[in-house]
Amino acid sequence: MAATVSDVRKALAAQQYIATDEIATVIFLAEQLGKPILAEGPAGVGKTELSKAWAAVTRHELVRLQCYEGLDESKALYEWEYAKQMLYTQLLRDKLSDLLADAQSLTEAADRLAAEEDVFFSQRFLLERPLLRAINSDQPTVLLIDEIDRADAEFEAFLLEILSDFQVSIPELGTIVAKQRPAVFLTSNNTRELSEALKRRCLYVYIGYPDLEEELQIVRLKVPDLAPQLARQAVEVVQSLRQLDLKKHPSVSETLDWARALVTLNARALDKDVLENTLTVLLKYESDMARARRAFSLGTNGHGRTDR
Amino acid sequence: MEERIGKFIAALRGAGVRISLAESQDAWQALTYTGVGDRDTFRLSLRATLIKDVTSYDTFEELFPLYFGLDTPPLQDPASDLSPEQQRMLGEAMQQALQRALQELARDLRKLLEWLMNGQGPSQEELADMAQQAGLNDLPDSAAPYQARRYARRMQQLLGWEKLQELLEMLWEALAQQGMNPETIEQIKAQVMENQQALQDQLGDYAGMKLNDHLAEQAQRRPPINELMDRPFGSLNSAEMDSLREQIRRLAARLRSRAALRQQRGKKGKLDAKATLRHNLRYGSVPFEIRLKQRRRKPKLVVLLDISTSMRPVAEFFLRLLYELQDQVQKTRSFAFIDHLEDVTTDLHTQQIDQAVRTILSKMPPGYYSTDLGGSLRQFEAGYLDTVDGRTTLIVLGDARNNYNDPALDIFRTLAQRSRKLIWLNPEYPTQWGTGDSDMLLYQPHCDEVFQVRNLAQLTDAIDHMLA
Repeated sequence: MAATVSDVRKALAAQQYIATDEIATVIFLAEQLGKPILAEGPAGVGKTELSKAWAAVTRHELVRLQCYEGLDESKALYEWEYAKQMLYTQLLRDKLSDLLADAQSLTEAADRLAAEEDVFFSQRFLLERPLLRAINSDQPTVLLIDEIDRADAEFEAFLLEILSDFQVSIPELGTIVAKQRPAVFLTSNNTRELSEALKRRCLYVYIGYPDLEEELQIVRLKVPDLAPQLARQAVEVVQSLRQLDLKKHPSVSETLDWARALVTLNARALDKDVLENTLTVLLKYESDMARARRAFSLGTNGHGRTDR
Repeated sequence: MEERIGKFIAALRGAGVRISLAESQDAWQALTYTGVGDRDTFRLSLRATLIKDVTSYDTFEELFPLYFGLDTPPLQDPASDLSPEQQRMLGEAMQQALQRALQELARDLRKLLEWLMNGQGPSQEELADMAQQAGLNDLPDSAAPYQARRYARRMQQLLGWEKLQELLEMLWEALAQQGMNPETIEQIKAQVMENQQALQDQLGDYAGMKLNDHLAEQAQRRPPINELMDRPFGSLNSAEMDSLREQIRRLAARLRSRAALRQQRGKKGKLDAKATLRHNLRYGSVPFEIRLKQRRRKPKLVVLLDISTSMRPVAEFFLRLLYELQDQVQKTRSFAFIDHLEDVTTDLHTQQIDQAVRTILSKMPPGYYSTDLGGSLRQFEAGYLDTVDGRTTLIVLGDARNNYNDPALDIFRTLAQRSRKLIWLNPEYPTQWGTGDSDMLLYQPHCDEVFQVRNLAQLTDAIDHMLA
């Protein structure tokens, strides 16, 4: 695959993902060592985007598992398809009675039935959930376990087997080992501390907000229609907003939304009106808006008034 | 190189970063792919494999240059651009200058001049030798990495750095006399100046590295954590307190997984008829899979902390544990008291824990106070009684030494009735309860549970009960 760190970076750039040295190094190492990547950082800096871009680079299918509180094995790994099992039993009833018709004793009938048991507990009746799909796939996949910090601590422990050995145990079937090792990406918004054991198995990268030049590069790449001068101004505004003490800082994806909004509105310059009308794209809390207005000394009611 | 990396990892551990054996193995393996040729890739490889927490990035970036490649530029050979004729002149001038100054010259100053003039710099042995003389091999326990500059200066002094300028002046003079053109002299001068700076930085980095090694060794020498956890808070010195503080996270993680297990067991609750029906529609309403009511009620806590002098260490560790376990509780209101009560909830919510602990403890700095638990309880009833309801666990952390004030038992009884559970944590031995000005025996009958919390192990157990 990629032979050097800079190959990784170029390949990602071809997919319109601008990777820093850190990100490229981590992906390169993960590829070589066969280890999962744990990407942490604020929301909307391109953690999920990274795995999508990498799936595009490698042309592998992206299997995504979105974590949430209460996520359990049956949603993440597999589930027996009871309804189908029941349907089959019903339909095969005749066949079963044929099979058992000439049995001499109850024990013999039970033995015969036991011999056929595997039919009902085979992969045929297994509903594959994302984790099993990634492991069972004949083609290599990119497995994205998104926002792992939202899942419970138990689920984290459950992931350990998969992350270190790329295998899962299903009591009725035994252990299933990955045919092709998936490239695993875990993302976390850092809302809670992840366990040591999980971190130990992963390579770690923190993706923070990009600096001005990096962000400008991203905006130019993703929203080429925005005039260069305006793009720079816009990114400068976003960067200065991140310096303020806000409830929620604008993320890179919001910068891009904003840039697209500016294109759509056909804005020529970032004057007071434009800013006032589009600030909602960047900021999602009323108190943040008020603070931003004060900082840019915009608005009619912002001056000299404390709103707290 | 291998030894360097090993020492670097030890230093990181010494600085409080947790690195497991598996992770250091990963680092080795990573290096077989990325190599050590490119400094930046090398750094990022180590970081990705060793550091799993963004808050440890700073420590890593601080220590890295001390161990590898030293960002400082290597010394240059000032003579490299000179013609053979000029090189000969330089050599002679050096001889001359050295001879003229011979009487007062220390052997080390000569060495120093040679390093600067031939661009070689000191070898590892020479550095080790100087470090030995500067006392870097025999550091006091209190030595910390920030003292690197001081030790570097000591090494410079041993080399006779302050006489160097004089010697260099003599050298320039000798060169001028030999008829070297002034421009070339200026060139050499500039180069030597740069070398001087580089050498200074090298010494500083070397001293810093030694100090970090020392720190790492010291960390290994500290008594095992388990033993510390069983020692009473009062008998811990500040270094031991520090190493316990580092453990808080791990303890919290353990408590958290225990709480999670408990919640799993809690799922074996009552039958949820609605959910069961809905879920089993696909089996023709045959109740194939039973759904249970998931009771996931996280406790609401109200905490009253005595932060008088004797209680401070306990209060601090309690706050730290509580802070780490925020996600396990629904809501916490915290109050601190000595002679009066203060609401410290916002301090805990808005600040980093170290800062928060400092702020809270400095609200009522240690000194002469007469603890007034009864008065504080009255104040609580007047101002914050509504924070306690049937779903609240009320926790009092204190020694119940009320200074012969009115214990306000009536209020305490009300609180016990209003709350779901009232837990008292007391650092004193049960035999001391009720002696002197202790009102513990008066309060005890109203508490649902009373725990003795003399050390961290007991405190952890008590908090585990609280979360249940």
